[in-house]
Amino acid sequence: MFNSQLMLDSLPLLAQASTVTIKLTVFAGILSVVLGTLSAMAQLSGQAPLKWLSRAYVSLMRGTPLFVQLLVVFLTLPMIKIDNAAFEAAVIAIGLNSGAYVTEIVRGAIMAVPRGHVEAADAVGLSKFTISRKIVLPQALKTCLPALTAEMTIVLKSTPLASVISVTELTYTGVLIQSRAFTAIEIFLPIAMGYILIAQILLRLSRYFEARLSLRS
Amino acid sequence: MDWLAPFQNMPALLGGLVTTIWITIAATICSLCGAMLIILADQARLRWLRQLVRVYIEAILGIPILVLLYIVYFVLPDLGVKLGEIPSGVLTLTLYYSPYMAEVLRGALGSITTGQRDAGRMIGLSDFDILRRITVPQSIGIALPGLTGLMIGLAKDTAILSVISVQEFTYETKLVVSRTYAPFEVWTVVAATYWVLLTCLEQLTRLGEYRLNRFREMR
Repeated sequence: MFNSQLMLDSLPLLAQASTVTIKLTVFAGILSVVLGTLSAMAQLSGQAPLKWLSRAYVSLMRGTPLFVQLLVVFLTLPMIKIDNAAFEAAVIAIGLNSGAYVTEIVRGAIMAVPRGHVEAADAVGLSKFTISRKIVLPQALKTCLPALTAEMTIVLKSTPLASVISVTELTYTGVLIQSRAFTAIEIFLPIAMGYILIAQILLRLSRYFEARLSLRS
Repeated sequence: MDWLAPFQNMPALLGGLVTTIWITIAATICSLCGAMLIILADQARLRWLRQLVRVYIEAILGIPILVLLYIVYFVLPDLGVKLGEIPSGVLTLTLYYSPYMAEVLRGALGSITTGQRDAGRMIGLSDFDILRRITVPQSIGIALPGLTGLMIGLAKDTAILSVISVQEFTYETKLVVSRTYAPFEVWTVVAATYWVLLTCLEQLTRLGEYRLNRFREMR
């Protein structure tokens, strides 16, 4: 009943598709960390308009399904004359969505930086920008790394949604093979293992960075 | 721009919304039951059962929900289990969210000190009474924020069920969009509806949280 030949035959295709999944994860992850950090800094900046903008963004992203956000981004891009951009739409939607969660993570980490450090830097005469770059963010990064890793695995686990706008990543490739072969377990078993494997790699990478960061201090 | 389109198709959209709401409720109840089963199984004496549960939890933490949905919907029929679209959807959500809810419940139950349970036993309460009168009333206020977060996540994930043509809110929306050619307007109204409902749910439980934790302030 278990067709192991089919499984072996589909492995190269699946391996190729998983590079698309990894690319999606990396690009969306970078976008989400950049957006989340900016939005967290906006929330702590003390400027009312920036604060409200960031709050609205977080609330909107957390209050609607990623599935809907994905379709909205995908349908809006052609309106600003960007066509055939399914992959880009997926990166933007997943990045925007995850950025809201990263905002909360980074905000917590920034607030955990002792107030005295900022005051000391201020007293020494460092500019606001230098204080952020040299004092606050490096320390915040160390605190929020475990939570960020968890968020990145969530990003990885949301990439299959890109299949609904026909990005041929790992899951969609599986669906395509499955619809021709009329059998599922031989396809979805390796796919599930693939995701677990990629998540493990992510975890190891983050452990490595964590170890390096704590060595430096 | 055709802002009338979403409102002219209200009946179809509302029908989908109702399906979304009751799938959310059903799956939340099932996940809570699943979470309790997981906690019970974790305390069982059978070693293989504990290990089985651990493997299941690890697998769920690593697998995307869409892949799980495809496994339930495509693989189970090959193994002789034939489910309809909605039961497949509810089963997927239950399988996916039970371990997370178990984690929240375990944390909340663990936050009640053993001294309180010992005291209950000292004055002669049965195990069930200790659970009902001491452990659960105190831990429910602690578990509520986590459970609400998960329930909101679950409500949002019901949108994914549209890929196996469960006729919920997102699925109906896609149909309406293909009929009206007004994707932007319809999706905006639908997204706003999701946002309003989920934000209300969050605020409501915040009220409940306050009530349930009120006894703590009185110390």
